[in-house]
Amino acid sequence: MLLLSAPFDPGAAAAPRRPRAALVAIAGLAGLLVAAGVAWELLGRGPAGLGRALALGAAHAGLIGLGWVLTTAAPGWWRPVIRLGVAVILATIAARLVPWGPAALALLPILLLVEAAGHPRLRALGLARCRIGHAALGLAAGAFFGAHLLVTASLTFGYHLARTGAHAYASALAYDAGANVLSAEWLFRGAVFSALWRRGGFWPAALASTALALLRYLIDPALPHAPEARAGAIFYLGLVGLTGCALRAWSGSLLPGYLAGLGFFGAYRLLTP
Amino acid sequence: MIALPLAMVVVVAGAMALTDHGPDSILRHLYLVPTVCAALTRGAVAGGLIGALAGLLHAPVVLPSVERAGLTPQTLDGLLSLGFPVLAGLLVGYLADDGRAHAARLDAILAIQRRLAHPGSLEEALAAAAEEVRVTLGARRVALLVGHDVQTAARASVPVGTVVDPGSAAAFTLVTGQAVWSRDQRSDPRLPSERALAPSPIRAGVLPLASGVGVIGVMAVEWAGELTRATRAGAEELALHVGLAVENVRLTLRQRRFTEELEEKVAAATARLRELDQAKTEFLSVVSHELRTPLTALQGFSELLLRSALPPEKAHRCLVYLHTEACTLGRIVGELLDLSRIEAGRPLELHPERVDLDALLERNVELFASEHLRHRFEWTCAGPGLALHADPDALDRMMKNLISNAVKYSPRGGRVLVSASPAPDRPGMVEVAVEDDGVGIPADQLPRIFDKYVRVGHPDTAAARGLGLGLSLVKALAEAHGGHVEVDSLPGKGSRFRLLLPEVDRHF
Repeated sequence: MLLLSAPFDPGAAAAPRRPRAALVAIAGLAGLLVAAGVAWELLGRGPAGLGRALALGAAHAGLIGLGWVLTTAAPGWWRPVIRLGVAVILATIAARLVPWGPAALALLPILLLVEAAGHPRLRALGLARCRIGHAALGLAAGAFFGAHLLVTASLTFGYHLARTGAHAYASALAYDAGANVLSAEWLFRGAVFSALWRRGGFWPAALASTALALLRYLIDPALPHAPEARAGAIFYLGLVGLTGCALRAWSGSLLPGYLAGLGFFGAYRLLTP
Repeated sequence: MIALPLAMVVVVAGAMALTDHGPDSILRHLYLVPTVCAALTRGAVAGGLIGALAGLLHAPVVLPSVERAGLTPQTLDGLLSLGFPVLAGLLVGYLADDGRAHAARLDAILAIQRRLAHPGSLEEALAAAAEEVRVTLGARRVALLVGHDVQTAARASVPVGTVVDPGSAAAFTLVTGQAVWSRDQRSDPRLPSERALAPSPIRAGVLPLASGVGVIGVMAVEWAGELTRATRAGAEELALHVGLAVENVRLTLRQRRFTEELEEKVAAATARLRELDQAKTEFLSVVSHELRTPLTALQGFSELLLRSALPPEKAHRCLVYLHTEACTLGRIVGELLDLSRIEAGRPLELHPERVDLDALLERNVELFASEHLRHRFEWTCAGPGLALHADPDALDRMMKNLISNAVKYSPRGGRVLVSASPAPDRPGMVEVAVEDDGVGIPADQLPRIFDKYVRVGHPDTAAARGLGLGLSLVKALAEAHGGHVEVDSLPGKGSRFRLLLPEVDRHF
C-alpha cells in the first residue's frame, strides 16, 4: 500500500503528462491522410475504393495512435505508432483490393498486442487477461444487443436480414475486428475511459468516453443518415459503450468490451434497410 | 441468485408475446416483480440490469406502435414502461444496498468492539478488527496502526505484511489528523512511484483514528477498481468507531494494569503484615522464654536464700548468680526499652565520651573467651591510641551483640576474629570488624538481616536463644553515632560484620 510504504508529498502537483505535440502530430497526420484518401476517391484515379480505404485506414490508425500516446509517450513512441498505423492502412487497403485482404485486418489485433507487449505502461489501458466467464458475458451482451437491434428494427422499420453473402459478411466482421471495434475499444474504453476512471468515478468516465465514441460514429460517413437510424445508433452504441465500460471496469480487461462490440456489430452487419 | 429474476423476465416477455395485447398490456407491470426482487436480493446493479433487460424486452412491443401511431397517450405510457423498471430497480436496489451496508457496518462495529475488548495482545485484536473492516468495506487491503509514531506503533494488516515509511501519508495523517485519499495510488503525483499503472485504479485512503485525546493511530484501506461515495463514507464511519474502540481498549488495559499493580501492592503489604504479625508472636514467645529463664533463677536462688541457712560461701555464690541473672534481665529489659524507643521514633539517649577502643575490645573478647571455650578468639587493634567519641555503654552493647552473634552462629566452634582500625575506604571513620567462620547468611536474607525480629533459620543454630533484636539495635546505635554497619557473608563460609563509626574528633 503506497500510502504506507511510499514517501508522501502533500503539496506535489501532477506534472503535465499529455504530450500535446504528439497528439497534434498524430491527429494532423491522420487528418492529412484521410483528406488525401477522400481527394483520391473524388478524383477517381487508381483502383476503385483505394482512396476510401486509405481514408478509413488512416482514421482508424489515427484513433489507435491517439490511444497509444494518451497512455504512454515514452521516448521513441512514434516507432510503434507509425508501424501500427502503416499496418492498419495497408490492411484496410488490402481488404478493399485483394480477395483475401480482410484476413490482414483480422490479424491487426494480434499485431497490436505484439507491439504493446514491449510497453508495460499500456497495461493501464486494460491490456490484461480476463476470466473466460467475463469474456463470454461480453460476447453474450453484445450479441443480445445486436439481436435486439435486429428484432426491433425489423418490427419497427421493416428492416430485414441482408443477403450479401458469406465473403462480404466475413469482410465486414474482419473490418470490425481489426479496425472499427478495435480502434473504438482501444481509444475510448482503453485510453479515455481508463484515464478518466483513474481520476474520478465510474459514471463520469463512462458517460464521457461513451459520448466521445458516439461522436466518432456520428461523424462516420459510413453510418446511415436516416433519423431513425441515427436515433437507433445513439441508443445501441450508447448501450454497447456503457456496457463496454462496465465490463472494462468489472473485469479489468478490454477483451470483454471488445467481444461485446464484435457481438453487436456481428448482428448489425446482418441488417439491411 | 439473479437467475430467478432473469427467468421471470423472460417468462413475462414470453407471456406478452403469446398474448399479443400490445404495448399497454397489463402484463407489462409484471416486469416490476423480477426487477424489485433482484434489487432487493442483489442490490442496485442487479436491479438496474434486470430492469434494463425488462425494458429492452418490452421495446420490440412498444417501438412499432410508436412508429405506427406516433406519440399518443398509449404509446407514451408504453415508452414510460420501458424506462420505469430500470428506475425502479436502481432506486429499490440503492435503498436495499444502503440498508445492507448500514447493517453490515453496525455488525462490523459490534464485532470490532467485541474483538478489541477480548483479552489478548493488541496486535491480535487489531488484526481481527482489520479483517472485519476489510470484509465490510469490500477492500483489498486494510492496515491499522495504533501509536503516536508510525515506526513504533502497534500495527496489523490484512493481508499480513506492511512496510511503513516514516515520511508516508500514514505518518502525515498521524501528525496532522487529516485524512488522505488517493484516487489511484500509482498515478498519484503525491506518491512518487516507478511502478507501471495497473489496469484498474488502486484507490486508497488513510484515515485518522481519533479519540477524545486526539489522533491515536491511522486506518489505511485499499480498493481495486471502483470506490463509491457510500463506501468512502462507510470507511470514515468505521475509522471513527475503531478509534473509539481502540481508545476504550487502551483505557481498559490501563485500568487493568492499575488494578493488577494495586492488587500486587495490597498482596505484598498483606504478606508483610502477616510476617510482622508472625514475628511479633514469635517475639512474644521468645521474650517470655528469655524473661522466664533469669526470673526462674532469681526465684529459685532467692527462695533458697530465704528458706535455708546457707554457709556464707554458698550464700555468696547464690548472690553472684542472682546478680548475673538480674543483669541478664536488665539487659533484656534495656533492649526492649531501646526497641520501644526505636519503634516510637524517639532518639536513643547517648552519653558520649572518649572510649579507648583497645581496652573495650580486649575486655569483651576475654569475657566471651572465658565463657565459650570451644571458640578461638583473636583480636587486633591498630594501636592503643585508637579512640572513639561514643557512648561507652552503647559501644559495649554493640560489641557484645556482634561477638555474641558470631558465637551463636558458629555452633561447632571455630575462630572469631575481632579487629579495629581506621577504615581504609572511608576517611575519618574507624572500622570495627567481627568475623566468624560459622554457618553464614544466605544472600536472599542479607537485605533483611538488620530488620527487627529477624532470625535466620539454620538447622545447626535452631537451639540458639535470642530475640532477633541484636543486629537491629546495633544498626540503630551505629546510626545514632553517625556511623553504620554492613555485612558480607557466604553460606557455609562465615560472616564478617563491619561497624563504621566516626573518629574521636567527630561530633554527633
